[in-house]
Amino acid sequence: MAEMNTDNSQSAGIDLSQFYQVFFEEAGENLDNMERLLLGLDITQADDEELNAIFRCAHSIKGGAATFGFSDVAELTHQMETLLDKLRRHELAPNASMVDVLLASGDALKAQLARHQGNGGDAIDTTDLLANVRALVAGQAPTAVAAAPAVVAQVAAAAPAKGKRLVELRVGPLSNLAQADELRDLFKEIEGLGTIEDLPSFPDQANTRRFKLETASAESDLLDLFTFHVSREEVVFLPWSEGGVQVDPDKGLFEGGAAAAHEEPGYGFFDNAPGAPLSGVASAASASAEVVQASSAAAKPAAKADKPAAGGLESSTIRVSVEKVDQLINLVGELVITQAMLAQNSRGLDPVLYQQLVSGLTDLDRNTRDLQEAVMSIRMIPMSTVFSRFPRMLRDLANKLGKKVELVMQGESTELDKGLVEKITDPLTHLVRNSCDHGVEMPADRLARGKPEVGTITLAASHQGGSIVIEVRDDGRGLNREKLISKAREKGIDAPDTMSDSDCWNLIFAPGFSTADEVTDVSGRGVGMDVVKRNITSLGGTVEIDSAEGYGMRVSVRLPLTLAIMDGMSVGVGEEVYILPLSSVVESFQVNEEMVKTIGGSGRVVEVREEYMPVIELEKVFGVPRFDWEHTSGIMVVVEAEGGRVALLVDELLGQQQVVVKNLESNYRKVNDVSGATIMGDGRVALILDVGSLVRRSRH
Amino acid sequence: MHSILAVDDSASMRQMVSFTLKSAGYNVVEAVDGQDAWEKAGGRSFDLVLTDQNMPRMDGISLTKKLRENPQFKATPILILTTESSDQMKMAGRSAGATGWLVKPFDPNKLLEVIKKVIR
Repeated sequence: MAEMNTDNSQSAGIDLSQFYQVFFEEAGENLDNMERLLLGLDITQADDEELNAIFRCAHSIKGGAATFGFSDVAELTHQMETLLDKLRRHELAPNASMVDVLLASGDALKAQLARHQGNGGDAIDTTDLLANVRALVAGQAPTAVAAAPAVVAQVAAAAPAKGKRLVELRVGPLSNLAQADELRDLFKEIEGLGTIEDLPSFPDQANTRRFKLETASAESDLLDLFTFHVSREEVVFLPWSEGGVQVDPDKGLFEGGAAAAHEEPGYGFFDNAPGAPLSGVASAASASAEVVQASSAAAKPAAKADKPAAGGLESSTIRVSVEKVDQLINLVGELVITQAMLAQNSRGLDPVLYQQLVSGLTDLDRNTRDLQEAVMSIRMIPMSTVFSRFPRMLRDLANKLGKKVELVMQGESTELDKGLVEKITDPLTHLVRNSCDHGVEMPADRLARGKPEVGTITLAASHQGGSIVIEVRDDGRGLNREKLISKAREKGIDAPDTMSDSDCWNLIFAPGFSTADEVTDVSGRGVGMDVVKRNITSLGGTVEIDSAEGYGMRVSVRLPLTLAIMDGMSVGVGEEVYILPLSSVVESFQVNEEMVKTIGGSGRVVEVREEYMPVIELEKVFGVPRFDWEHTSGIMVVVEAEGGRVALLVDELLGQQQVVVKNLESNYRKVNDVSGATIMGDGRVALILDVGSLVRRSRH
Repeated sequence: MHSILAVDDSASMRQMVSFTLKSAGYNVVEAVDGQDAWEKAGGRSFDLVLTDQNMPRMDGISLTKKLRENPQFKATPILILTTESSDQMKMAGRSAGATGWLVKPFDPNKLLEVIKKVIR
């Protein structure tokens, strides 16, 4: 027998840590699945298949955690699995407190996994949870369901100094191993950081240095320090394990077997079984004949006999880092620009003389467009990744408020750019909370109004043209026109009685506006709808509200499908070209002198259809040099953002086109009134204007 | 080179087993559950089948039964990797025609050690 290695992540010369990332992702998926299934579980008539599926989630996490040495995760999932096993065998009937405890356990597991992933933090105390799960297994009620796992300072039996813990640090692969010495110096220089000791490198990873750290600092803080000397990707933190396998397969967590012949710890062979050692092949044949039990089924003809016998993983998906995808998108962006340049430069060529070149350029145009579309689609992820958080959130929220709410989700498979998905999560969360908190009435009120006791909140996503529309609907009390108007006047907002319904509903987007009679701790904490609207606007989106008092409310969020490409209108000012987002352009017109008036000595306004609008001269904003002193620009472009309109004075309208948005901040620095830049067909850089910022400028 | 069919619904376990076996010089075909394994087993032979027990669509015991019905797999060693090592599981494994079992979690060393006993 091979010697047991002393390091649990290094067995048989195999570094188990290389599988950690896959395990973390897989465990995360399993936890999400488990939560979804638990929330959908009908306690009164639980479906066997569902119970099995929940069991499998816990089972799968346990198997991986035990194998890879995450004993805390393995222990908790083991207890959960025991409970779930009893449920699927109908030895226990599911009840609400089981679901609560299992959900809380899921939260604790997420925290444990995050900690192992190197997010730092203290050990997760699962004593109460474990006790609760065990009580449920024994058919008793849980003592108390902790809402969130309590975090305790780690009580380290291995006795590192107070508040400190032991961590294994791996740095590599490094081209120059001496780079890691800088990290050692950090510990010398910075008092209180802790201690660092060299550990021997693994033979198969000679370019990776290993250290033993004793520190009280969070791993994220350490990482920030280390990245002065080595890159973030090269640093791995691992839980410290002194002297061996944390989970001994032969004792402890799992009951050892003792049934068959040739028993050895952890495995065994059946007597006379086919292929078993120590038993002849002859007797194996008879044994298997007995097992087959004269089953009539002749072996199924091999349907896929011609399938290539590839020895690798045959999977329909691969995991790719976001950086790689973004790099690809950037490169395609560059290609689009190059293509546009070629197209522009070749415009003057005689199509007869350069027939092949021109047709080649036409192909290039089409292929570039297709490629761009295909690459952009890689970043698209389904809305279900956002929606999936709401069932749990609403369940907890409704419980807290004493309301009954059902969540309906539609169009979860609608796809949206990953960057947008991440940014839309918070605003959507706010809207859903609002619907539950302010929209849906208490069950008794609903019944009194002749509505079903259970309120419905609907989340729907769909594609409409080049945008995605996400709706949050509820069948609650809706908005009250009078209340909104009087509240607006209290706040000093101009709100005439004659204002249209849609203008009236839009009042709730005014800063600091809240109609809730009392501020609850759920929503209405001052962070209001104005923030929601601002966030959505900054993504190039719009929000619309529709409501009928007593019947409910609908908030529609419309977003562009991606942030990387934008429909723009290019305008010329002097020698410069600026891009305006087409979505914010309202109209453009020629002005004459009498339409523009100067007010208060500073600002100028323009009168359009008996309405005055502030005028912004772009040449003054950006200090555009003007050589043509005689020229008086006379074109105004009206743009709209954040509920306000301004007229921009420009020299000429150059046209509309799709532009590839380049981040100016990451390539240069933040520039006021500019949201980004793009490269034009002729190779010049044009700034993309931040209309919201221009509108705000006009207010001051 | 010996070929091994490795069946597990957990990607991390599959990778770990596969990596261990490949490092030891075996040829490995991976399957994500019993059904997938059954489809991949068609038309070719393996020197060993390593299968997880608890999987969606088709579990390890059912896969073992199905494989044993196929003349090609009559004498192929089939090991079930399981966290349950109860007598009940063993009875089921035995009557399905499994060669033996290995309790999870296991050390890669142990996996190789057990495999060397059944692949000659």
